[in-house]
Amino acid sequence: MTAAGIHRSPPEATPAQAAARPAIAGARLAWLYLASRRAPAAVGLLAALGAVLWAALHWHWNIAGGPAAQQVVPLVIETGAAAVVAVTTYGPFGEPERATGRWLPYLRLGAAMLFTAAAVGALAAGATGGYLPGGTLAMLRNVAGLAGTGLLAAAVLGGAFGWAGPMAYLLVTESALAAGWTTPWIWPARPPHDRGAAICAALVFAAGTAVITLCGSREHAAG
Amino acid sequence: MTTATDAPVRPRAPRAARAVPLTAARLLRIELRRGAMPWILPLVAALFWFDSYRPSTAMPPLWMWRTFWNMGQGHTIVDFGPFVAGVAAWMGSRDGRRGTADLVRAAARPRYATQLTTWAATAISAVGAYLAFVGVMFAVYAHQGVQGSPPWWWVAVGAAAVTAFSAAGFAVGAFFPSRFAAPLAAFGSFLALAMSSQTGFRSQSGWALILPTNSNGNYQPMSGIFYPYLPDLPIARVMFLAGIATAALGLLGLPAQAGGPSLRRAAAVVTLAGVAAAGTAAGLAGTARPGPHGMVIPALHDAANDRPIRYTPVCGHTAGVPVCLNPAYRRYLPDVTAALAPVLAEVAGLPGAPARATQVAGRYSKGEGGGGQAMTINGRPPVLRMVLDSLSTLPGSTGFTAGREATTQFADLIRLLSVHAFVSAGNGAGTPAQRAVQAALLQGAGVPFAAQPTALAIAGLPPSGPSTGNGPGTASGPVYAAARRLAALPAAARHAWLAAHLAALRAGHLTLAQLP
Repeated sequence: MTAAGIHRSPPEATPAQAAARPAIAGARLAWLYLASRRAPAAVGLLAALGAVLWAALHWHWNIAGGPAAQQVVPLVIETGAAAVVAVTTYGPFGEPERATGRWLPYLRLGAAMLFTAAAVGALAAGATGGYLPGGTLAMLRNVAGLAGTGLLAAAVLGGAFGWAGPMAYLLVTESALAAGWTTPWIWPARPPHDRGAAICAALVFAAGTAVITLCGSREHAAG
Repeated sequence: MTTATDAPVRPRAPRAARAVPLTAARLLRIELRRGAMPWILPLVAALFWFDSYRPSTAMPPLWMWRTFWNMGQGHTIVDFGPFVAGVAAWMGSRDGRRGTADLVRAAARPRYATQLTTWAATAISAVGAYLAFVGVMFAVYAHQGVQGSPPWWWVAVGAAAVTAFSAAGFAVGAFFPSRFAAPLAAFGSFLALAMSSQTGFRSQSGWALILPTNSNGNYQPMSGIFYPYLPDLPIARVMFLAGIATAALGLLGLPAQAGGPSLRRAAAVVTLAGVAAAGTAAGLAGTARPGPHGMVIPALHDAANDRPIRYTPVCGHTAGVPVCLNPAYRRYLPDVTAALAPVLAEVAGLPGAPARATQVAGRYSKGEGGGGQAMTINGRPPVLRMVLDSLSTLPGSTGFTAGREATTQFADLIRLLSVHAFVSAGNGAGTPAQRAVQAALLQGAGVPFAAQPTALAIAGLPPSGPSTGNGPGTASGPVYAAARRLAALPAAARHAWLAAHLAALRAGHLTLAQLP
C-alpha cells in the first residue's frame, strides 16, 4: 500500500473550489456506483436490444399464429431490456457497501430510474423501424411493469437472478395470451390506453423500485 | 540396509488413482452445496404448476390427452430450459467474473476438470428437479385415475433437453464471463424454444421432427391405450440433445488454459462426437415416416413396439345391442350407450343395422392430435366400429368447452358418425340422397335439423346445406327439404321405404328426386 494517490489540498484553494467539491464528489460517487453496476455494458446491451427491435420491425420478423405469437418478438425484446435493468442491481461489494454507503438508497433509486429510462429510450428509438403493436405507449407500460418484476425478483432472488422475474412474467403472459385472459395484471394483453393495465404496470414498477431502493438486491453464497 | 532393500515397494500408484475420484466426488459435493440452481427452483415450480400442470387438468382423464400440452408440445421443457440455461451461465461465468481463473488454473486439477464438475453439479440439480416435478405431476394424475400408460420416453427427452440447456448455458457463461451472460443465455434459450415451437407447428415431416416441441404425427390418442408409444422419435431426440450437450461441454476444453495438449485433443474429439451425434439424429428424424400408430424411423424401429396392448373390453347394452369399449374409456360407457340408443332404435330391423358396437383404435394422422376418422359398419353380423380417440370432444371435459356443452356435442357427434356409417357415406360428405337420409335419421335420433350443421362442422364433414362462409351453415336447401319430407312420413312408412331402398342408397344410385 502506498500513499501515492493521496493529495493534500493546496493552501491557496479558493472558497468557490471548496463549494464545488461536494458536487464533484457526488458525481464521482454516482459514477463509481454506476461503474460497479456495469453501466457501460448495460447501456450497450440496451442499445443493442433497441437495434434488434428496429431490425425486427423493419424486416417484419414475426411468428405466425394468434395474439400470443404475434406479440412474441417485441415482448421478448422488451423483457430482455427489463432483465438488463434488473441485473444491474447486482453489486459485487456486499456488506461493506451496505455498512458504509449512506447514499446507497438514493444511488439505487437513481440507477433503477436511469436504466429503466435508458431501456425505454433505446426501445423507443428501435420502434422507429416500423409498426410496433400497441405503439410506444404500450411499450413504455410493458417495459416499466416488466422492470418492476425484475427489481422485485432481484430483491428476492438476488441481483444476479433479477432476470428471472421478467422471464417468468413472459412465460405467464404467453400462456395467458394463448388462453385469452384479459386481466389487467397481464398488461401486454390489454390495449395501449387501458387504464387498468397502466395502473397495474405502474404499481409493479413502483413496488419494485421501492423495494430495491430500501433493501437492495439480495446477496447469497452462489455469487 | 539389507532390510531396507528387501522391503517391498509401497504401492503408491493405486492410492493416488483412488484419491482422484475421491477428490472429484468431494468437489462435486461442494459444488452441489454451493450451486445457484436451488435458488431458482421455487420460481420454476410455480411456473411449472401454472404452465404445465394447470392447463392439463381441463383435458380428458387419459394419459395422452393430459400430457399433450406439457409432454407432447414440450411445455415442461419451456418452463425449465431458459432458467436452467441462465443459472448454468451464471455458474459457468463464476471464475471469469471473480477474476479467479488464474488461481483455479494453478490448482492441482486441470481447469477443464473443475469446470466439468461445476457443470455436473448444476446439471444434477436441474435434471433432478425436472424429474421430481414431473414425478409429482404424474403421481397426481395417477391419483386422479388417469387411464392408459404414461409417456416415459417423453420424460427422457425432457431430461435430455434440460441437460442440453445446462451445458449450452454453462458454455455461454464460461466464454462470456459477465453478469449479463445469464440473462443472455436465458433469453436466447427462450427464443430458441419459441422458434422451435413455431417450426414444430408448421412442419409435419423432415428434420423439424427432431425438435422436442413438435407434436405433429407423433403424439396421438391411441398411444398408451391401444398401442405403446413408439420410441423411435424420442430416441432420436435424446440423441440430438445429448449431442448438443456433449458438443457444448467439449468446447470448454478447447482453449489453451483448459489443460494440457492431450486433454485439449480429447476435448476436440468430444466436440466432434457431439456434433456428429446431433447431426446424425437430425438426419434420422428426416427419414421418419408416419405409421399407423406413430412416427416410424426405419433405422431405430423395433417391430415389438407394433404389438397392440392386450385388454378385456368393458361392455354395456343399449336397444338390445352390446356396446364394448376399451377399459381406459370405461367412464364414457354410459355416455356412449345413451348416445347410441336412439340411433340403434331408429335403424333396428333394417338391413345392415349393427348387431354390435365396439371401440377400435384410430390411426395416426400427420397433424396434431389426430382426428377426422370415420366410423364404419361391416362384417356379418354387422358391427359398428367406433373410433372414439379421434373425436375432438369427449363428455365431461375437453379443455375447450364446458361440461354440459361437451356432453351434448359428444352425443350429437356419436349419432352423426354412426348414421353416416349406416348410409355408407364413407369419409366424404356422401351423395345428396345419402345426406338427406342421414339428416332425416338424425332428426329421428334426437339431433334436430338446426343442430346438424354444427355437428357436421365438428366432425369435419362438409355442410349438407348452403355454406355461410364463417359459420357451419344453415339447415336449408334441397338436401334438408328432402330430409324434412322423409322425416315427416309416419315411422312405419319411413321404415318400409328405407328397407326397400337402402341397398340402392348405399351404392349411390338414388337421387334426391327419388326420395319420398
